[in-house]
Amino acid sequence: MNMPQDHITEDMFKPVALGSEQNEKISKPTIGFWKDAWLRLRKNKAAIVGLVFIILIVLMSIIGPHLNKYGFDDQSLDRSNLPPKVTGLGWLGFGGVDAMSGSDAYEMKGIKDHFWFGTDTLGRDLWTRVWQGTQVSLIIAIVATLGDFIIGVAYGGISAFYGGRVDTVMQRFMEILIGIPNLILMILFILWLNPGMESIILALMITGWTGMARIIRGQTLKLKGQEFVLAARTLGSKDSRIIWKHLIPNVLGQIIITTMFTIPGAIFFEAFLSFIGLGIAPPNASLGSLNNDGFQNIQIYPYMAFFPALILSILMISFNLLADGLRDAFDPKMRK
Amino acid sequence: MVRYIIGRIGYLIVTFFIIAALTFMLMQLLPGSPFNSEKLTNEQIEILKDQYHLNDPIAKQFINYIGGIFKGDLGVSFTYDGRPVTKLISERIGPSAVLGIESTIVGTILGLLLGIIAALRRNTYIDYISMIVAVLGISIPSFVFAGLLQYFVGVKWALLPVAFWEGPLYHVMPVISLAVGVMATIARFMRTEMLEVLGQDYMTTAKAKGLSSVTVVFKHAIRNALIPVITILGPLVIGLVTGTLVIEHIFAVPGLGDQFVDSISKRDYPMIMGTTLLYSALFLIIILVVDLLYGIIDPRIRLASGGKD
Repeated sequence: MNMPQDHITEDMFKPVALGSEQNEKISKPTIGFWKDAWLRLRKNKAAIVGLVFIILIVLMSIIGPHLNKYGFDDQSLDRSNLPPKVTGLGWLGFGGVDAMSGSDAYEMKGIKDHFWFGTDTLGRDLWTRVWQGTQVSLIIAIVATLGDFIIGVAYGGISAFYGGRVDTVMQRFMEILIGIPNLILMILFILWLNPGMESIILALMITGWTGMARIIRGQTLKLKGQEFVLAARTLGSKDSRIIWKHLIPNVLGQIIITTMFTIPGAIFFEAFLSFIGLGIAPPNASLGSLNNDGFQNIQIYPYMAFFPALILSILMISFNLLADGLRDAFDPKMRK
Repeated sequence: MVRYIIGRIGYLIVTFFIIAALTFMLMQLLPGSPFNSEKLTNEQIEILKDQYHLNDPIAKQFINYIGGIFKGDLGVSFTYDGRPVTKLISERIGPSAVLGIESTIVGTILGLLLGIIAALRRNTYIDYISMIVAVLGISIPSFVFAGLLQYFVGVKWALLPVAFWEGPLYHVMPVISLAVGVMATIARFMRTEMLEVLGQDYMTTAKAKGLSSVTVVFKHAIRNALIPVITILGPLVIGLVTGTLVIEHIFAVPGLGDQFVDSISKRDYPMIMGTTLLYSALFLIIILVVDLLYGIIDPRIRLASGGKD
């Protein structure tokens, strides 16, 4: 038997030429900006719960109003003040039992249909109204936030990117605007334009964009002086390329975090304005106006306040949890 | 420092002037007048208009209006039979101030306790529960919370008076409703600051030189963590005023906020404008005081960047 080493001679070995290209190659797939953030967000259970609830509520606000045959402004005094009733959910309080008399309000009024969330004082179906109202509140919040985002990014970006006198003038103007309390500006604005969806959105936008503009300006000023921007400029990049390829990707995390905190703020202010009588006018509904109507009747018909209050609270909590989670995911340094 | 303070006061005056100009412009744009009563003849209306200088040129009216603000004259209410706005405000400001101060005190103390305990017991159930309470407190709008509190504690269980403002017991529910938001905000902020301070080198030094853990926590951690909390007092007070509008309305507290909401629903413009100006002045002064206070307490941030960031 030959020993194995007899066959192995030195000339059987030759060095593998490893080019510098391969040397630098990363064997695992690179994790991009979005994937990295998602991997970190996924670990945050609270944020995921928030995200799931937001998706559910958004879906329900779209399909909810169409799930039964009642429109959001179908009035009928024959069926007013009916408590919620769902077949098989009587043990959960969905038995249609009137809180005062303790008997089935549907039998007393001779109503055969079931109203899942009950009806209001005018006999309008609360299920439809609650989801319709959620839809209105979400649209207001999202459009206003989008407006904040566009104005804020443009204003902050221009102010910081061009600097000098442009920056000074723009900053002075903004400081005065920030000096005027949001609430005051919003109330004056809505009184002038008359309450309604458009005026609420405009009022929220006028007061909301400054936060975004400040953050964008701060971040841009910080980035503008860094080496990679200088390098890009030296290599002859145009302003637009520097802005789109270097500055915006680097402030994207901040933009997303700020946006996510703006949405619950906008939902709150819409509800607040509706609550003090400057919001959506009837027969239209929003979460704020439904809460307001509900609390006016809470002593006799508690269910009228319960559902809008529940949806509004869940929505606010979910957005705050998700925003917290996103802040940790996009900017681990700011983890709080 | 002095230059900075003067600059800031200058800004404050300019901002207030702009707000006053905006409110005046709005009053001109909006319909309605204090003398819309059908009992008045045209001649009587003219006489009244003359009496209140409503026939003067706009520019002169504006100067009178600005002058009036400094003299404490905010015009005449539309709904309360021509009573002066200043008088109506001064009658109502008491309960609001009491409510605001009580809520600030209760909310701040509870918030600090919650934040400190959560930080010291980091990643235990106490921490998690505190932070869940804080998230709920920040997220749930005060009027929802107040409404539920009123229904369960006041109506269903009849433990506390449902509404009105007639004695100490009547304060409990409105104060809790307002204090929850303050508590939650401060608790979160305090926890973050405490964790930051607890990780500092001087904490290790303090422990290493044999100080008792009580001394370390009270003398080193809490004192240093408290400084940045001052910065959120400004936004907090603004939030509190926003809160009083609805809370006073819900609990029928005879305060300024309730009257403000009332005047909005009745479109009593002079009353709205008067209250708006008062709130603006309050906000502007509080923000200024907080900024200056912060500069005095923490010399590290003394206005290197003009107070920004």
